[in-house]
Amino acid sequence: MATAIDNKSAEIVAKYRILFDLKEQQLNGQKSHPLQAIRQQAIERLESMGFPARKDEDYKYTYVTKIAKQSFSEGTGSIIGENVVKAASFGDMDAFQLVFVNGVLNQELSNFDNQMDGLTISDLKTAYDNADTQALVENALTNELGLNAFVALNTALSHGGTFIHVSKGTAVDKPIHLTNITVSGGSAIMTSPQILVVAEESSEVSVIETYSAINDGTYFTNALSRIMVGKNAHVHHYKLQNESLAAFQINNTIAIQERDSTYSSYVLDLGGKTVRNNLSSHLQSSGTNTNLYGVYLAKGDQHIDNQSFIDHAHPHCESNELYKGIIDDKGRGVFNGKVNVRQDAQKTNAFQQNSSLVLSNTAQMDSKPQLEIFADDVKCSHGATIGQMDETSIYYLRTRGMNLEQARSMLQFAFVAEVLENFQLESVKEKALAMMKEKLG
Amino acid sequence: MLKIKDLKVSVEGKEILRGINLDIKPGEIHAIMGPNGSGKSTLSHVLAGKDEYEVDSGSIEFCGEDLLDMEIDERAIAGIFLAFQYPVEIPGVSNANFLKSMVNSVRKARGEEEMNAMEMLKYLRAKTKLVELDQALLKRSLNEGFSGGEKKRNEMLQMAVLEPKLGILDETDSGLDIDALRIVANAVNQLRTKDRSFLIVTHYQRLLDYIVPDYVHVLYNGQIVKTGDKNLALELEKRGYDWIKEEVDGVSA
Ligand SMILES: Nc1ncnc2c1ncn2[C@@H]1O[C@H](COP(=O)(O)OP(=O)(O)O)[C@@H](O)[C@H]1O
Ligand SMILES: [Mg+2]
Repeated sequence: MATAIDNKSAEIVAKYRILFDLKEQQLNGQKSHPLQAIRQQAIERLESMGFPARKDEDYKYTYVTKIAKQSFSEGTGSIIGENVVKAASFGDMDAFQLVFVNGVLNQELSNFDNQMDGLTISDLKTAYDNADTQALVENALTNELGLNAFVALNTALSHGGTFIHVSKGTAVDKPIHLTNITVSGGSAIMTSPQILVVAEESSEVSVIETYSAINDGTYFTNALSRIMVGKNAHVHHYKLQNESLAAFQINNTIAIQERDSTYSSYVLDLGGKTVRNNLSSHLQSSGTNTNLYGVYLAKGDQHIDNQSFIDHAHPHCESNELYKGIIDDKGRGVFNGKVNVRQDAQKTNAFQQNSSLVLSNTAQMDSKPQLEIFADDVKCSHGATIGQMDETSIYYLRTRGMNLEQARSMLQFAFVAEVLENFQLESVKEKALAMMKEKLG
Repeated sequence: MLKIKDLKVSVEGKEILRGINLDIKPGEIHAIMGPNGSGKSTLSHVLAGKDEYEVDSGSIEFCGEDLLDMEIDERAIAGIFLAFQYPVEIPGVSNANFLKSMVNSVRKARGEEEMNAMEMLKYLRAKTKLVELDQALLKRSLNEGFSGGEKKRNEMLQMAVLEPKLGILDETDSGLDIDALRIVANAVNQLRTKDRSFLIVTHYQRLLDYIVPDYVHVLYNGQIVKTGDKNLALELEKRGYDWIKEEVDGVSA
């Protein structure tokens, strides 16, 4: 159903229609590929729904349309050194690595060829052209769960994309690292990283997304991850975001969980001028586990908004969410955690906690846990705290010879380290700790 | 080593210390006793440098330096150590990591060589043994969920590793059972040298059976109203504080 969208929104959408048409012209022979029809559908969907309006409750604190309003050109590959890739990697950790420079896969810097049995990594077109996975790709890309304007925009503009398929019973022994590097500083570009992970029954895989930049320029990353967690499968999904401090990132992650599956998300947001994460988990059957861990550090005029949604639609499911962050200077943080426990979702265990340290008078944190429970036999709890650094603790540390700076950073570090303790991959945890330490100074 | 002259201190406009004079020489042990609310903790925290106390007048000299001019951490580096009456719990900071970074940052600031991992391990092991603390507590968050006695022994451990010139124990003995009390006393006695001094703040005489002080002072109403040797502590134990109060209040009335 196409409802009328306002003129402003229509104007913005029109800009992206031009980008879309430009890309389509470059496709030549592939215009008739069924994936292009899916993209076509997506841009039409965007045209009918428009970008969120300022009064939209879910965008109250972060008016994302302001980002979309700006002009971005399409990212093209760029030459970067191996040292840049190394800096974005995890020391000695062995991984299947895909390096994207300005949104374009760089084969030379990547290393994911020696694939193991039961694991397929390819672009989406290859996956679609394979009769075995065609239906999977088509269903995932047209699924309406978690749909919003930026999901549609990503689907419309993303070419390439990454398809990760893990066959039944396969435990992938090396993590898959999607390394996104943007060379910023020239004209503002836009990238549309897209990932589709399909973990079949009783499989296990770790997927890591990293985002970093060369230079401090402005650009826009509009990322989309779709994670299909099959029966009894476990997907560990990491995102370490360290974009340029002038960059925008909108990140949509949509997990769809089958019976007895586990989806674990580990997020660290350090970079970006404006960052908006929409993370949702849709529980399709009973016995599932959902773990959402997040850390955010906003300094200067950074703005980091975390929206999460867990839809408990079936009984005997567990969700566990812990987000902690530090807001300093003129930074701003937003947390909006929705947990929906539907009437049928008896024996649900849902735990949610969001705690923030606010370090300056000009820093701001808005935290809104939203627990909506329609079942009666459940265990649910949520809490939100926003506080300052404990002066007595600072004093105590200083009486042991630490200077003010050391004491403050030790306490800040300890505050968020509690979340990082849950990161399963030791190398990722260590890297996250080191990145955090650097940012906290 | 420590010379306090006519020290007057207030909090939020309320005068708490009303002219303290105290002179501690290297190697001496001074005990300060007094009823609740007499200003013992205030004096301890003023020495450590806590901000919320207002020094209205007087002076404190520590090893020839103006202590009141120094930051909290500078005092620690210069050799002041305060064992807190109520040690602070700090979740997320591992006790062992805390001890290590504490030792090395203080050594660095004192111009001493930093310890490597091996030396540190040995050093901490020996000091942990000295205060008879369970090694497992090193792996836990600093003071978090520690029992009262464990917290106090952890304070003694920090004192032992920092090797201060002046150790101030603010009611470290309060609430301890006799075994824990012996451990605390033993730690102090072992750390006692001809140069290292202690200021033992206590409410009870019991600790002084194990740590023999050179001087005992009675603090009442923000002033040192009596000074004697260890026998004064015994007398206080027998007679309580009322006779002191009467004596002082009678004189001033
Ligand atoms: N931070 C503070 N704010 C207000 N009053 C205080 C503060 N610290 C101490 N006091 C007051 O100062 C007096 C002395 O306290 P304290 O030094 O703790 O005594 P003691 O340790 O001998 O029991 C008490 O009346 C106490 O209420
Ligand atoms: Mg006291």
